[in-house]
Amino acid sequence: MKRLLLAFAALLAAVALSAQDYTGGVKGTVVNRNGRQPVEKAKLTLMQGAVEVAVVESAEDGTFEIPDLADGLYTLVITAPDFLDNQVQVTVNDGYVKNMFNLSMTAIQQVTELDEDSFAAFDLDDSGYNDNPTILFGSNDVFNNIAGYNFSSVRFRARGYSSESQDVYLAGVKLNDAITGYSPFSLWSGLNEAMRSKETVNGSEVSDYGFGGYNGLTNIFGNALNVRKGLRGSVLTNSTLYRLRLMASYATGPMDNGWAFAANVSARLGGNDWIDGVYYRSFAYYLAADKVFNSTHKLSFAFFGTPGERGAQNASTQEVYDLMKDNMYNSNWGYQNGKVRNARVRKTHEPIAFLKYDFTPSDAFQGSATVLYRFGKNGYTALDWYDAQDPRPDYYRNLPSYFYDENPDMNRANYAKWGWANEVWKFSELYPNLTHINWDRLYNVNAIQEGGRSKYVQEERHVDQNDLNFAASFKWRAADFVTVTGGLNARINRTENYKIVADLLGGQYFLDIDNFAERDFAAQPWKLQNDLEYYMANNGASRILHEGDKYGYDYLAQVRNYGGWVNGKFVFGNFSANVGGRLGYESFWREGLLRKGLFPGQPDNETMAAAWKNEGIVATDETSYGSSKHANFLTYAGKLGLNYVIGGNQRVYANVGYFNDAPKFNQVFLSPRTRNTMIDDIAPIKTFSSDVNWQYSGNGINVRATLYYTSIKDQSKVMSAYDDLQNAFSNFAISNIDQQNYGLELGFKIPTYLVNNLSLQGVLAAGRYEYTSTPRMTQTVDNSAEVVMKDVLVPYWRCGYDENGNRQQHYLPSTPQIAASLGLAYNYNYWFIDADVEYFGESYLDMNPLYRTDYATAGPDNNVTPAEIAYMTKQERFAPAVLVNASVGKSWYIKYKYQLGFSLNVKNLLNNTDVKTGGYEQTRMVDNTVSKERYYRFDSKYFYMSGFNYMLNVYFRF
Amino acid sequence: MKKIFIVLSVALVAFSSCKSLKEEWDPVFTFGENKPAAMKLYTEQDLSSLGCNGFTSIRDLKAMYKSGGVELFGNIWIKGQVISSDRTGNVYREIYIQDETGGIDLKLGKSSLYSDYKLGQWIYVKCDNLTLGAYNGMPQLGLEPDSTTTNEYETSYIDSQAIIDSHVFRGAFADPLTPAVVGETELKAALSAGYTGELWGKLVTINGLKYGNEIFALLYPNPNLPHKSGNPENRIFLSDGGVWGIDTWSMSKAKFIEYVSSGAWDAAQVGSGSTRYGPITGKPSDYLQPGKVLDSFGTDAELTYKEIMIKYATANYVSHYFKVGSVDVQVRTSGYAKFSDEVLDSRLLTGGATCSITGILSIYSGAAQFTLVDEPSVSVKIN
Repeated sequence: MKRLLLAFAALLAAVALSAQDYTGGVKGTVVNRNGRQPVEKAKLTLMQGAVEVAVVESAEDGTFEIPDLADGLYTLVITAPDFLDNQVQVTVNDGYVKNMFNLSMTAIQQVTELDEDSFAAFDLDDSGYNDNPTILFGSNDVFNNIAGYNFSSVRFRARGYSSESQDVYLAGVKLNDAITGYSPFSLWSGLNEAMRSKETVNGSEVSDYGFGGYNGLTNIFGNALNVRKGLRGSVLTNSTLYRLRLMASYATGPMDNGWAFAANVSARLGGNDWIDGVYYRSFAYYLAADKVFNSTHKLSFAFFGTPGERGAQNASTQEVYDLMKDNMYNSNWGYQNGKVRNARVRKTHEPIAFLKYDFTPSDAFQGSATVLYRFGKNGYTALDWYDAQDPRPDYYRNLPSYFYDENPDMNRANYAKWGWANEVWKFSELYPNLTHINWDRLYNVNAIQEGGRSKYVQEERHVDQNDLNFAASFKWRAADFVTVTGGLNARINRTENYKIVADLLGGQYFLDIDNFAERDFAAQPWKLQNDLEYYMANNGASRILHEGDKYGYDYLAQVRNYGGWVNGKFVFGNFSANVGGRLGYESFWREGLLRKGLFPGQPDNETMAAAWKNEGIVATDETSYGSSKHANFLTYAGKLGLNYVIGGNQRVYANVGYFNDAPKFNQVFLSPRTRNTMIDDIAPIKTFSSDVNWQYSGNGINVRATLYYTSIKDQSKVMSAYDDLQNAFSNFAISNIDQQNYGLELGFKIPTYLVNNLSLQGVLAAGRYEYTSTPRMTQTVDNSAEVVMKDVLVPYWRCGYDENGNRQQHYLPSTPQIAASLGLAYNYNYWFIDADVEYFGESYLDMNPLYRTDYATAGPDNNVTPAEIAYMTKQERFAPAVLVNASVGKSWYIKYKYQLGFSLNVKNLLNNTDVKTGGYEQTRMVDNTVSKERYYRFDSKYFYMSGFNYMLNVYFRF
Repeated sequence: MKKIFIVLSVALVAFSSCKSLKEEWDPVFTFGENKPAAMKLYTEQDLSSLGCNGFTSIRDLKAMYKSGGVELFGNIWIKGQVISSDRTGNVYREIYIQDETGGIDLKLGKSSLYSDYKLGQWIYVKCDNLTLGAYNGMPQLGLEPDSTTTNEYETSYIDSQAIIDSHVFRGAFADPLTPAVVGETELKAALSAGYTGELWGKLVTINGLKYGNEIFALLYPNPNLPHKSGNPENRIFLSDGGVWGIDTWSMSKAKFIEYVSSGAWDAAQVGSGSTRYGPITGKPSDYLQPGKVLDSFGTDAELTYKEIMIKYATANYVSHYFKVGSVDVQVRTSGYAKFSDEVLDSRLLTGGATCSITGILSIYSGAAQFTLVDEPSVSVKIN
């Protein structure tokens, strides 16, 4: 709070220094907020009070000027077809012509400061759970405008769709991660200015840049001409993620010689008020040049990257949070020499370069082609240890509940030990080395090992992409009533997955062997080797590792996809329709670069076979080395959209689409770190999506209402966790997951008519996102080719039953199924003030499949009881939450050429720290019971939303 | 313009001068040289500041034992040097320390203790609030027993790190102790002394041991189900003479399956005492029959005991009998030991050779039992 006051004081001082009177007419340029393209023939009406002073239209280049105005405060109302109405206040003084620069019209959505940084980096370890956020961009959509920012704090997902269903393009190239499908916002976080210009469509609508799916498409332009002209600088501080963001950008705009240049740099630094150990030390750079040769040919080039690191937050059980009296407790960090160190740090530098060619031979045809290349490093540190105690402070054996439980069947009945553990956690400040990672101990253990072999190391898991993309698209107005868009795309992705020894933590070396295998196969040392060929070539020696060395696993995920799409838009008066299709081919496979002792496969030749025989190495059907079989998919999709405009202000439209998509690499390999094996019978994902919409835009009123229904079938996923029952690292591959999402979206912004410039705004998202199938599961363990469970049904995935046999539906997790916001927005004389009350309900915890099997509900005695089903299969529903947020902002023009402004967003004014935003069930069970009749769950882990927090942005432009 | 920059600069300086911010910028560690100070190794002088004014010998400590276990109170400290290691997996969640008067099992309850407690290192134990008990006659120092209905131990593992940190203090490193060499005479004396025998819990070498061609193992067909003496159908004893085809020190899960599958145990009887269920090739009667046919696992009712054993296979310990003179010494090896599947030297198995074995000697139900600390290649020497 002190920092906030200081910032305000500085701000007010600056304002006081600059407060002077200025005069003039009014001029500027009307642009589309998406892409900064000029808006021609926009109607600008200048009002003074209720009196209409002047009416002009913007020129072809979007410019306008209203001269000869008397001093005073005016309201400039801007209207244009297909854009939201806009109005701004302008003060005219002393005969000066006020240059209002760009006046933005929202065409398809509004842009906020929302980006990937708005979401904490959750550390889900290898759990297989996905908590990647989706980001709603505004544009001309009133729902997205409000929900996009306000709902981000609870990681709201529009219509319950997952991150990978949101198509994100850069310069016309689809950039969703080739391996996971996740939206790639982190690649340009911190480059808000460079990436500000974007165009978004919702749901199943078709964009000019790509066919898209059922969860919208955002194309970020990213070229120099789309960066705001001039020099801008901003200082931002927030209290939930990083302390300080410094950003500067400069863009020349179009120059006489046809060139345009732009640059953007930023730094995000420091910790935050809520989560210890989470910090940023991230930087960003962006350089771009455009060359407009003539009205037909344009080339764009950009190169950018975001080198840096950020500490991640971990989930803990409610027991830990309660003991610590802090739902923001983060078990990832500890003191080293009295300093805070986070074990889980994401360290990335993945530069992107693209070259784009725009071809506009006529008003009726425009085309573009882009080559884009992504490369670099993406590392994520974690602790690794060999034959040593688990260093995680919240490891379940360190918690009071491990020693005592009121349920005698749990076999935890030592109250004295419970008391000690309770004392430690309740008075954590007295025991920092037990309630946080004890780095000093890790170093000290390493220091006393014979020969300097580290027991503990910090590893860095890499997912390094080489991602080459080509995309071409065109837009052709074939006739007055028909416009055809289409494109081709190709992608070659080669992602190397490996880990390195990042830090030996004071030791001298580490060995490249499999801990779990050593426990089971100590008598067969070749089985322990992560690099069997090294072992064979070095007379049975395990590879000695030093810092920077690769170890453990090393494989390539190879992905190829090619496709094309076409869409026709037909306009007949007020009625329009679009129909389009997409066809593609996708192939992926794993290519092991190491031969692992547990899964050596077959010898390559007779010499190798002889060597293996001599060593006693047994060949296996499953292999860790070489190429897996290729998973090939023919993908296709079709869309139909109908649109009818009623009376100029209202629009009714509907979309329907069917999609046959390939699953992602990470959803089909059982254990890609150890072998080439895939889930049996991989199926393409089939999605049917439909929506009906009504939109009103006029007289200062904006409303959109949507009903939607989506069905997604044949999804799969792989989760990994340590399984106590198998005493091994275990993989759970689930297939045949179906879901349906249906519901209502409503967004509105309406003048109050009671107070000038005051609007009532709100959104409602009410849906049902539920599972509809009984999937199948296969469980394997990393240290054996044995299949623990083969293709078993998960009968309680779709629903469970209470003790009375009543059906309990199970839902998609980690997003509220009911989200609502109601607030007031005030705009006057460059001030804006917003205040909203929000409600979130019906949010559910991510389920693990193991608890929904007959195996788990039967228990060790193989006897299923209603009580076991009710207990084991129940899905947790989070408590609903009410939040209050507010924003205020103001900008000032100084000496006709400078603009100084600020915005302050304050979230969670009620300081509610009990709002769960996500989490997961641990994939392990308590089996050491007294009765030996049933299993018990391990406690679930959760993430919580920060309490009261703020973001203050001060910017300066000239 | 200049003034604005000045004001903004002042604001920035103000931000970064806040105390909490200084802590925030500076301490976040990002790799490099920042090693902590060396671990604190306690001296006896250090312990005096913790209230230690002298040490009780391990022999005197053991003498405090009473049947059922005794909780220790007051200023009782012992010291000793570490003589066990769980590196090979044959000792688990405990360390043995030894002074000149004897050795004792310290039930720390943590895994991979050899990473923290090195052979020969001095250990000081504050016994206040710890419990001295025994398991089948073998003295142990742990914590008060769990109050579960099935508990059969006089002590529990200490295993709460806060208790360990406040009761167990690591001292100077020193060379590993040389084992005491004992023979039949010393063994007989110790056995006749029972619980107070000085050899129990010590590192010893016994010379002249001869393989007894006999093993002992207690197997549970389904270890997930209750398998105590009240559930005899889930118990199979491999005993009553002979080695049941077992020639390894113990058996990993894979080795266990191999042994069961070989048919060498087909004659083994299910049950114990007078309650017998026939050989393992038979089908279970009632206890092991499940109540529901499961999609994923089938039903145990359709399986024989032998098939159930394979289905629920785990690693298992084995005790091999040796003799020195007329005294039996069981060498008990965990199925989780890294050398579990190692075959005993053929000169012992069939050649009648004698050997010297080094390990931790303990008493188990009135008999001498040996636990190897190192691999057999180190611990077992053919004479």
